[in-house]
Amino acid sequence: MARLIGRRLLLMVPTLILVSILVFALAEVLPGNLGRSILGPYATQQQVDILNHHLGADKPLYERYAVWAGHFVTGHWGASLQLGTPVFSTVMRALGNSLLLAGFALVIIVPTSILVGVYAGLRRDSLLDRAITISTLSMTVIPEFVSGVILIVVFAVTLHWLPVSAMPPQGAPFVDRFYYLILPAIPLMLLELGYIARMARVGTVQVLAMPYIRTAVLKGLPRHRVIFGHVLRNALVPTVTVIGSQVGWLIGGLVVVEFLFVYPGIGNMMINAAQFHDVPLLEACVLVVAVLYMLSNLIADIVVALLNPRIRMGG
Amino acid sequence: MADEKFAREYGHHLVEEVLNGHMTRRQLLVRASVFGLSATAIAQLLAACGSSTSSSSSPSAAASGSALPAVVTGGTMKAVIPPPLKALDPVTIYDQGGIVLVYQIAEYLIDLTNQNALKPKLAVSWAPNAKGDVWTFKLRQGVTFNDGSPFEAADVVASIERVINPKSGSGALAALAGILSPGGTKAIDTHTVQFNLDKPFADFPYLVSASSYNTAILPRNYAGNFQKKAVGTGPWMLKSFVTNQHATLVKNPTYWGKDTQGRQLPYLDQLEFALVTDTSAANLQLQSGAVDVQPQTVFQGGASVLSDASLRVDVYPSTGIRELAFNVNKTPWQDKRVRQAVAYSLDRKAINQALYGGRSNLGYDTFWEPTVFPGSPTPPARAQDYTKAKQLLSDAGHASGVDVTLTVANYLENPAFAQLIQAQCKPAGINVKINEISYNAIYAGTNTTTPWLNAPSVIVEWGSRPTPGVYAQAMLLPTSAWSSSHWNDKDFVTTFNQYESTTDEATRTTLASKLSSIQQDETPIVVAFYISQLRTQKKNVYNIQGPGSFYFDVSQAYMTK
Repeated sequence: MARLIGRRLLLMVPTLILVSILVFALAEVLPGNLGRSILGPYATQQQVDILNHHLGADKPLYERYAVWAGHFVTGHWGASLQLGTPVFSTVMRALGNSLLLAGFALVIIVPTSILVGVYAGLRRDSLLDRAITISTLSMTVIPEFVSGVILIVVFAVTLHWLPVSAMPPQGAPFVDRFYYLILPAIPLMLLELGYIARMARVGTVQVLAMPYIRTAVLKGLPRHRVIFGHVLRNALVPTVTVIGSQVGWLIGGLVVVEFLFVYPGIGNMMINAAQFHDVPLLEACVLVVAVLYMLSNLIADIVVALLNPRIRMGG
Repeated sequence: MADEKFAREYGHHLVEEVLNGHMTRRQLLVRASVFGLSATAIAQLLAACGSSTSSSSSPSAAASGSALPAVVTGGTMKAVIPPPLKALDPVTIYDQGGIVLVYQIAEYLIDLTNQNALKPKLAVSWAPNAKGDVWTFKLRQGVTFNDGSPFEAADVVASIERVINPKSGSGALAALAGILSPGGTKAIDTHTVQFNLDKPFADFPYLVSASSYNTAILPRNYAGNFQKKAVGTGPWMLKSFVTNQHATLVKNPTYWGKDTQGRQLPYLDQLEFALVTDTSAANLQLQSGAVDVQPQTVFQGGASVLSDASLRVDVYPSTGIRELAFNVNKTPWQDKRVRQAVAYSLDRKAINQALYGGRSNLGYDTFWEPTVFPGSPTPPARAQDYTKAKQLLSDAGHASGVDVTLTVANYLENPAFAQLIQAQCKPAGINVKINEISYNAIYAGTNTTTPWLNAPSVIVEWGSRPTPGVYAQAMLLPTSAWSSSHWNDKDFVTTFNQYESTTDEATRTTLASKLSSIQQDETPIVVAFYISQLRTQKKNVYNIQGPGSFYFDVSQAYMTK
């Protein structure tokens, strides 16, 4: 197990280097340039050229990458070219927001989805199973901006039950943040519920057909012990893998929800940085999300290994 | 003093022009403001013309300000605006979010009325010499920056010299190029500044007004750290600014401004700006009651806001346009008949209805448009006329039709405008292929490669400009920094130079007619409409001033319970 973790952590290093090179290269082919983005369309070409020279944006790509990478690995993340704020604190603040929203959403999504999926699996082919399957499948095809707008119009604009924005006013107690996160978490729940519940259902159905479950039932174990002791442990292996792969998206990919609910998360920040050619900010955002993505997958693999001794033994 | 003598003589000249029927009273109001005549002097001139001394408000301002309840002091007003696209810096701002925030904290020599006329701010008066190439500004006394330092002529000199220094990166440089050079701004004494222009320019005051938003007056020692230390003379002080989230401003307790009854301004205690990128999200903020006002409601997607009975919508006749430019160096736009054929293919009323619900003012391919620039000569209307368009095409050698490409950014209503052009040009035999690219892509590259200045034909969005001359200076001259058409008409250039060199209103009116006629006939660009701006607020919000979304003046605004 330790070897598995160590190897996976080591593999992260070349992956991150490759990602950083790719981001740098892709930022180069984006339309526009840094000086023009900062000064706007009405600045003269001479002014743009002066600023690009001042910022070093007119130097060769490899030279800029070497300078940036040298600073980055030594902890000097610099300042955002667009916002004028330190990259590290800017990214960490956005990351904190994203983690809070993702964590809040996961706390709702994971138990609900597993409960719904396992229950449907245990009642396979019943009316309830079909209702759960169809409704969760339907919810996965509703884009967040559609469900989000409907939720805002109903609960914020018409009923005034919940706030339209995901951020509380300045000075509000920290616990208020959870109240403000209820509305943005619902579209995420609608999306994720379908994926995770269906995976939990399929896992449950498959495990229920296994001989060891029949043995457990025939030897007279109570139903709840069969389900919690044998079915869930094995049925959730693929579900955990899916959850792990969704964590990265929940942290770095919530652009639509962040836009709609005016939430200052890292997904939004990445889009802005890319549009603005703000490479230091873009690189930091992408690398932080990449690390989280890989870590969440690693944690999912560890959980799967803990659930399934065959994987653990196979290293 | 020579300037005062000039102002007096100029005032008499304006009255004569009105009495002789060469000018309207509204035109007198605007021109008198350009030459720095005081409100009292203007009222006297209007009285001499036999009119009422009250100036007409825009319809919107009347709606917002009519039957105003008693002023309520204190409280917090919340507004929603787009986040500044970059770090806040008055010298280099160019977007709505940045301009609105800076406008609260820093001030300009001259501000704008709801009708786009000039009104004194940090300058109390201004006047040119007889030739029009030296302008002398008298500054307001007793004003201090919000850090306690006194406002003096040296601050004005430093602020203007700063923006015309190429290293500052200020967009004001391009607007002032060829008009004011480094070293041309002098402090005569602590409260008098003189601008020595490169050439006579009758609209110069607009170039150092709020309409030239990079010319905000900052302390002489300003070092570019506005976001951390926002020093200005304005009614508000920056309390906190969180990038892409919110900005909080508190009233400046030492602000110099008083209302007509001598009460200290601003009335409100605090301003909070929610910084929201997505227009749908911004609309929902307003409709849910999370904010009190939206300085600019975009028509596209704004239908539910505009029809919300709990909100009041003010319509401002802005001078912003969507320029449809024809690059006259590229086929088939060298021939003005092809350009005219496009102009005659357009149903401008239908376009206005489709894009703005019929709220905007129609344009007829000239900047001298009296509905938005009072006193301009009325151009001949251009109705859709396919027979004429086909004849023009045939005369130009395209009897069987012509294929053209129109480049447009995927931004605001531009793609919809392009589609309307495409549909309306087709019956005339003009086959428009739309090249839709991103907002970044259209402004990418250098002057010789960027699509907005080099595409065969292109749609470009322009915010408000205060006068036809400022528009023409920006895009219709061979020396213009932002000419997408690359039009170079010697007659127009000569006439334009004469127009900006004279202070004689009769001569200016004659020259304006000629300029308008040349521009419309040559049609280097199509100006199909002047976009009205919509400001939406709760019904307990009163007395927001300023023409349009950039100039969001809440120094005299208040909210009832």
